[in-house]
Amino acid sequence: MNRFALLLLLVTTSSYAHQMSPAYPKLGLTHIAGVKKVEMQIFNSREDVEFYEIGVFDVNWKPIDFVSLYRIIKIDYLSTIKFDVYITDADVLNAEYLCSRSKLRSDKNNQAMIATRICSRFK
Amino acid sequence: MKNFIATLSLMLAFSPVLAENIYINGDVESRCSIVQDTAGRWGNPSANVLTTLPASGGQVPVIRYDYSLANAYYASISTPISFSSSPSLSDSTVFTGVVSVTQTSSSDMSGYQAASTTPAANTRQYGLTIAGTTWFSATSIATHGGGNNTPFPSGAYTGIVVASCIAM
Repeated sequence: MNRFALLLLLVTTSSYAHQMSPAYPKLGLTHIAGVKKVEMQIFNSREDVEFYEIGVFDVNWKPIDFVSLYRIIKIDYLSTIKFDVYITDADVLNAEYLCSRSKLRSDKNNQAMIATRICSRFK
Repeated sequence: MKNFIATLSLMLAFSPVLAENIYINGDVESRCSIVQDTAGRWGNPSANVLTTLPASGGQVPVIRYDYSLANAYYASISTPISFSSSPSLSDSTVFTGVVSVTQTSSSDMSGYQAASTTPAANTRQYGLTIAGTTWFSATSIATHGGGNNTPFPSGAYTGIVVASCIAM
């Protein structure tokens, strides 16, 4: 009975989840001198969300410059996207968090909508 | 018969050993998954109030956090401090919000609410110190017009609850 309840819970609620990994990414070398790179991935099982915004922040949540192919990434429902984030050596020491945040559409009446944000922390 | 056994013995003696060690490798990755368990909705019990409280016709948004490792993430939940979309408002609006733990997968999580902090007025942060699943609710009330009780203009109102999972 408990297993059935757990299965039912997963089936009924898993369509609105947002997940990003790794939790503790390590910046690695690139072919460009003075630039470090990290590879991340986002899984979107939020049926109501198509786009996620990427951001890099310091320990006080001030934005840090970074380069990625897109800052706002389109991720289809139940899809996983891998993406690279490039940060210059000058900013590497200040970079603390790498976050992805769901972008919401306001097309419904009187909603208290839920934006999800997951932040990994640089090691 | 002797010849057959001798031949078979020679074949076995000179056949190459084909066994290999096959390894299975895997890493356990710390993960946090945020699930919109219940969407929120404001009810309009009086002309100048919007509230997610069910008694007033609203629906409290519920957010579920699944996390696989203990002491790896904070859950940080912010209630709205403004409308993300609304009709043009002629008067000020005051927002209040309450975030609380509504359900846990382990009784060891019972201290989450008491140990939570408020890094900002509209934000409550929880240390996710036990691996498992926790459900949070985020109640929001918007009152228009201050002491004048100015009614909200008719139209659609949207506010955003931000549910964050931040690596420790």
